Amino acid sequence: MAFLTDRIAIVGVGASEQGRLPGSTSLTLATTAFKRALDDCGLDKSEIDGLLTMPGSASPEGSLNYLRMGETLGIDPAYTGSMTMGGGTAGALIQMGAMAIACGLATNVACVFGDAAKTGGSRFSRASGGTDSWGIWGMFAAAANSAVAASRHMALYGTTSRQLGEVAVACRRHASMNPSAVMREPITIEDHQASRMIVEPFHLLDCCLISDGGVCVILTAAERAKDLKQRPVLIAGMGQGYTTQNLGREDWWYVPHQKDALDRAFAMAGLGPKDVDVAQLYDNFTMSVLLWLEHAGFCGLGEAGPFVEGGRIQLGGELPVNTAGGNLSESYMEGWLHVVEGVRQMRGACGERQVEGAEVCLVTGRGMTLNCANAMLLHPA
Amino acid sequence: MASEKPLPELGELNTPFWHAARAGTLAMQECGDCHHIRYPISHVCPKCLSETYGWTALSGRGTVFSSIVFHQVYHPAYKGEVPYNVSIVQLDEGPRMVSNVVGVPPSEVAVGQRVAVVFDPVNDEIAIPRFRPADD
Repeated sequence: MAFLTDRIAIVGVGASEQGRLPGSTSLTLATTAFKRALDDCGLDKSEIDGLLTMPGSASPEGSLNYLRMGETLGIDPAYTGSMTMGGGTAGALIQMGAMAIACGLATNVACVFGDAAKTGGSRFSRASGGTDSWGIWGMFAAAANSAVAASRHMALYGTTSRQLGEVAVACRRHASMNPSAVMREPITIEDHQASRMIVEPFHLLDCCLISDGGVCVILTAAERAKDLKQRPVLIAGMGQGYTTQNLGREDWWYVPHQKDALDRAFAMAGLGPKDVDVAQLYDNFTMSVLLWLEHAGFCGLGEAGPFVEGGRIQLGGELPVNTAGGNLSESYMEGWLHVVEGVRQMRGACGERQVEGAEVCLVTGRGMTLNCANAMLLHPA
Repeated sequence: MASEKPLPELGELNTPFWHAARAGTLAMQECGDCHHIRYPISHVCPKCLSETYGWTALSGRGTVFSSIVFHQVYHPAYKGEVPYNVSIVQLDEGPRMVSNVVGVPPSEVAVGQRVAVVFDPVNDEIAIPRFRPADD
């Protein structure tokens, strides 16, 4: 077993209301989530000595968010910082917090995110690019990058739009069992096919929501976790991977760093895909779930389209995915709620949507222009 | 107004690319040391870190690597343009670039299709390289 395996526990999770929340700011939403996470684990604010934050997409302070957050929450931490990796941030911050605890730099670390992207404006429509913006050719918005991946996957492997729809249908069905989810009305493949085109091959229902909300995750050492309120959920393995080049690397579209991150997490945990009972896979777009399934080894290269058919990734199926509804239907908290749901599944606290007897949960995140990926394997203490 | 669309901001690094395009040539940087042809434009070779480079004319021929069609208007200047094609083109000399395949309905652009560069003049200084289907 690796040095960090099972040494760090996620002891508290908290989320604010989600959706369209006029009057809220990234800081008010983060504060609500922080208070709920404290209440969840039973720690007092004075015991939080590590504060790691992700700036909201419209937060003007950007990478100085840790200062604003510390000031807002009244915390003078022993260890702090902010990171901006889009949907890769939650996992990267949790892994950073785990290392800080293991190295003795902090005792209890709160990882915090708040965003008012729905009502406050967001960056998701911007063009990527380098010296010359891709906007020169009309390539804007986050959807385009994943649509590029979907187009090529379809051409190489025969993946279909209906198969992408299976992901949307599964997430929505799971959201229908989640009172906190923003989109709870069940949908069919036909609804997916009839939804308007956004960036072909993506229909509207291939795309995640844009949401206001906040999420907080609190970590501590496994031994200390035993004394807190909830059944501790241990981090068995974690890993990260990055493809910083995009056009410069031929397989950028296939996000090879997702496989790197997963391989590293599985190796640390001494586990493999067959050990995973439930998975929270980062779903900014439906296509992303297909790529995670292939990279994790749940199916082979190019096989994820047929794999998701027949309800296999729905509750009751072989591998339930995004059991709270995911970015597609629960709320777009850029992967932070995937961690929360992973923890709740490992506590056995998901009620109607609990995966019976689940002992290992895979949680993944990915962000920016497909560049950043990470994975964690959680299990109950 | 077409001029409201994002246009390249000419600086020391990218001016040769855009001047070549205005003159009807697709040119990219070739490393002076390892001869890697690179794109996107950078002051340094990502293979060998050499900062010595020249500009080399490419054939302008390539293959569609991936193709998507914008229906959503993300930029107000594109309101009258949707649906339009955006493709990643695999150039024969190695680099890949974001561009548009024009001259065919946007949804009929196929991955693997051969294409050749054309230059679309948008003002006195800028001609944007786009691609048309080609036979070879």
